[in-house]
Amino acid sequence: MICPRCDSDTAHKLVDAPVNKAWEVFLCDTCFYSWRSTDPKELSDPKTYSKKFKIDVANIPKLAVIPPIPPLEKK
Amino acid sequence: MAFKDLREFLKYLDKNGQLVTVNDQIDPEPDIAAIGRASVNLPEGPAVLMNKIKGYPYPVAINICGGWANHALMMELPKETTVRDQFFAMNERWDKLTPPTVLTNKKDAPCKENIITKDINLFDVMALHRINDQDGGYYISKAACITRDLNDPESTGKENIGTYRIQVKGKDLLGIQALGYHDIAIHLREAEKQNKPVPIAIALGNHPLVSYMAGTSIAYDESEYDYVGALQNGVPLEVIKAEESNLRVPAGSEAILEGYILPRQRGVEGPFGEFPGTYSGARLQVEIKVTTITHRNNPIFENLYVGIPWTEIDWLMGLNTCVATYREMKAQQPEVVAVNALYTHGAVTIISCKPRFGGYAKTVAFRALCSVNGRTNTKIVIVVDENIDPFNLEQVMWCLANRMAPENDVAIIKGAPGMPLDPSSEQAGISAKMIIDATTPVPPAKMPKEINILVPPVGYQQWEQTLAKMLKK
Ligand SMILES: [Zn+2]
Repeated sequence: MICPRCDSDTAHKLVDAPVNKAWEVFLCDTCFYSWRSTDPKELSDPKTYSKKFKIDVANIPKLAVIPPIPPLEKK
Repeated sequence: MAFKDLREFLKYLDKNGQLVTVNDQIDPEPDIAAIGRASVNLPEGPAVLMNKIKGYPYPVAINICGGWANHALMMELPKETTVRDQFFAMNERWDKLTPPTVLTNKKDAPCKENIITKDINLFDVMALHRINDQDGGYYISKAACITRDLNDPESTGKENIGTYRIQVKGKDLLGIQALGYHDIAIHLREAEKQNKPVPIAIALGNHPLVSYMAGTSIAYDESEYDYVGALQNGVPLEVIKAEESNLRVPAGSEAILEGYILPRQRGVEGPFGEFPGTYSGARLQVEIKVTTITHRNNPIFENLYVGIPWTEIDWLMGLNTCVATYREMKAQQPEVVAVNALYTHGAVTIISCKPRFGGYAKTVAFRALCSVNGRTNTKIVIVVDENIDPFNLEQVMWCLANRMAPENDVAIIKGAPGMPLDPSSEQAGISAKMIIDATTPVPPAKMPKEINILVPPVGYQQWEQTLAKMLKK
């Protein structure tokens, strides 16, 4: 399944609604975007997802690391 | 106390006309966030309990501490108490530090009514919902995260309770924002140096003062729980040991997520609509594995709606910031009368003081800009005379209009520390500071010309009371 935000083929169904399976939630394992089956196209369809908020997979390693990981202490 | 946990506080709010219960079925999106927005838009807006969320078994509560009425009730003050009076009431209680009572029998702790250790699925326990459209997912925005210092694991003072934004990234996986200056980052840094996981307990649906203190900046070795006791006027909070660690968790909380921070690992988190009223972008942030959930029967998921100020967070980071800054300043500058740091975490801070000598307002402003909150978060300091109530913006504006000469009374200091989320700063974390002296000059400084100030007519205070009584009839 294609992630609407980062276009990776790493999205999948995460859960069904606990009551009456009223909806499903999906999750992308690459950018961790999640959405509900009841969400509008702007939040759930790769083609109509807001361009401003798209994530380019190539840029993920360049995102700020918070907080920085300290050097391992040698014992 | 009239209440010892969220449930009792909801009843207390109801009794005081500050709770609305929605029993019709609503959708997780956009209804929960829309109700969150609406509740703070109403004057003295109510807390809202939503009982029926489509697809979820349990209720959601929102805007528990938002609005000055709810804020006053949280301290068991009459709901009409003015902001200024709430400030002084909080200040008076600040020293009454009272350690919590540690319960030993799980039967006395409602948060242990159900214990889940297998097949963890957060969606089963709480009605997760999107807060702002472009949030990266479902956020837990009002949790109290409890961690300890691995180098001093017995210290309850260094045990930290803080509210950090938490993104749900799986059935049992969370992303959390631990900024470098947060206390939790100190715990994390030490653990990551040794490649050790940090045990964490995340308390949800808390006594309002637990949430309140979790958002308050206090010294690293001070206990937030002791302050909850202080703000309850010396009544201790009840806590109990977590299932998997020696962390102390509030006994009456709706749910406790237990687990550990995965050391030396970061994953995409965000964006999230933040308290300045803007999104903060996606970053590589810390991850938490949830291994145990304990919860009350029919747990209420209490969450925070964050939008363009004011929303509940402005009350959660409000008078506590004012009081902490006031006390810090007052110790060295007894002329300080009150501090209003209510605007976007003190970005705008108004201080009333009695200037001791010419130019003293600047000295006071410098001190505010050196305070724990002010050094990063404060951008604009306005200093007014001692007889001005800094919480009364009409009075403050009167000072700006009539006591401040822009060519002499404004100073700008460039290249100082700033709040990283400030959208107007050129470089995140660096900001200019502006000091506005709106006090009346005292010698050796002088007013440009002699002024004769108006005095209210004799007997007006008595008439105020009389007219108010007549109005009530
Ligand atoms: Zn993705």
